[in-house]
Amino acid sequence: MTRSPKAWLAILAAVALLPFVVRQAIATEIWIFAIFGLGLNLLMGYTGLLSFGQATFFGSAAYVAGYLLKYHGVSVFLALSIGIAVGAVSAALVGYLCVQRSGLYFIMLTFALNQMFYFTAYQWTTVTGGEDGMPGIPRPNVLGLDIHSPLAYYAAVALLFLLSLWVMKRIVESPLGKILQAIRENEQRAEALGYNVPRIKLAAFVVGGAFSGLAGVLYAMLFGIVPLESIGFVFSGNVVFATLIGGSGSLYGPVIGSFVFIWLSESVSSMWARWPLLLGVAFVIVVLFFRGGVVEAWARFWAWRAAHRGPAGAGADGPR
Amino acid sequence: MALVRTERLTKSFGALTAVNDVTIEVEAGSLHSIIGPNGAGKTTFFNLLTGQHTPSSGRIVFDGRDIAGTPPHGIAHLGIARSFQRTSIFPTLSILDNVWLAAFARRESWRGLAWRRADRYPAESQRALVTLAEVGLGEKADQPARELSHGEQRQLELAIALAATPRLLLLDEPAAGLSPDETQKMVTLVRALKGRYTIVLIEHKIDVVMTMSDRISVMHFGSVIAEGTPAEIQRDADVRRAYLGGVVTG
Repeated sequence: MTRSPKAWLAILAAVALLPFVVRQAIATEIWIFAIFGLGLNLLMGYTGLLSFGQATFFGSAAYVAGYLLKYHGVSVFLALSIGIAVGAVSAALVGYLCVQRSGLYFIMLTFALNQMFYFTAYQWTTVTGGEDGMPGIPRPNVLGLDIHSPLAYYAAVALLFLLSLWVMKRIVESPLGKILQAIRENEQRAEALGYNVPRIKLAAFVVGGAFSGLAGVLYAMLFGIVPLESIGFVFSGNVVFATLIGGSGSLYGPVIGSFVFIWLSESVSSMWARWPLLLGVAFVIVVLFFRGGVVEAWARFWAWRAAHRGPAGAGADGPR
Repeated sequence: MALVRTERLTKSFGALTAVNDVTIEVEAGSLHSIIGPNGAGKTTFFNLLTGQHTPSSGRIVFDGRDIAGTPPHGIAHLGIARSFQRTSIFPTLSILDNVWLAAFARRESWRGLAWRRADRYPAESQRALVTLAEVGLGEKADQPARELSHGEQRQLELAIALAATPRLLLLDEPAAGLSPDETQKMVTLVRALKGRYTIVLIEHKIDVVMTMSDRISVMHFGSVIAEGTPAEIQRDADVRRAYLGGVVTG
């Protein structure tokens, strides 16, 4: 917790500098994806529930809010609120079914339900546009402020990202955050202590879904379209992947993961069509050597430096 | 007055009757031990009391109400806490958090559940620290639980049960796998709890049970074959045949 101010300074600096380092649309996408990752990480990192269906909530929110923005001219504020609600409600539905099972069956259920949502969007062409997606999502003014320019929209998204990060920080440092970790560590004991484990897992789903929903609406407004992929399993996989690379189980892991994933995929893919190969290699390295992702690699580097600074430092580390 | 009593409690798994027609009464404030050879059904009996298993038949009456079939988290809210025979802790969480979670679970109100910082619950934090000090882990509060030795993990196991401020404390072999020295420490700990809590103790070490218990029930093949004060149990011929053999030293 003492390290937290430093982490916030680093993030604030990144938020301020990013749009001048990479294309503004990419910079915006990084923070949107980070919000998406924060939601997943509450499930995957803190509760130990590997949800392979987060795009369900992301996509549902994007479609519903996108539809309302496009055909009913709702305000950005309302669109975001509705998106968060749609994310939370769809996560409640999916979560209710999934928390009844554990392990592999849990993962497969999240995946299967994701596929159901995907094919619904695929078939329901009159509303969703099917394979073509839902184009023409407007980006109305917010409180009289024009957010059409990439930089203005970036600022709005970055603000919401910082807000999301702060909210998530509060959640993981609250009793609920501890209870979720307890469930991850030892479900039977948590239940014996008096915690209604399925209901608390469901709560994690709902909160995670709300974050996904927010990300989904921001994504739709960023590109002006809700592509079919936004509700597809590849999208669900990407957020798992990015979070693992960054480091699951740490608050900032998905933020770093999102940065690495989006930046790599956008910058390298324009140079080299086989870029997923590079991501694959990165993934293998993480799984084999750094189970805690970039966050762990970073911590280990500093521990290593401290140990090699002088003879007094070496070995003073104690047993691992 | 009995705080908890079972009436003809039975649990069958297919053809196996693990707990057979068990009627036991535990007086409030007493230490009631259950002994018996491995596989006698002692832990299954605990699992029935704590809701991990649903009884096949019979009743469990706690404080005047039938609680059979209540799920484990509901049992915990009634004020029944247990320790596990095989250490069951939260390994990567700090020792303090392990115990704090037990204290927090007993709160009446969940105000601030997802928003207030976990260290802003002074009553629960205090309860957790006091409990840790009581079992002798106060110094290590900030260490992750997995760094503790087996003996210390057994102490933590006990602390987690105690932090819930239980009205009924079920201890499943608290000294399992401990060295003679560690066992002595654990015996001292449990002895210090006597009188302050209503305790049901499962224990293999006969000498320990004989010196501490107010009453003893002896289980064999799922049934209670004898019940009485330590002195009565020691005299009982059936018990000697089934279990005690020639090893009684106390």
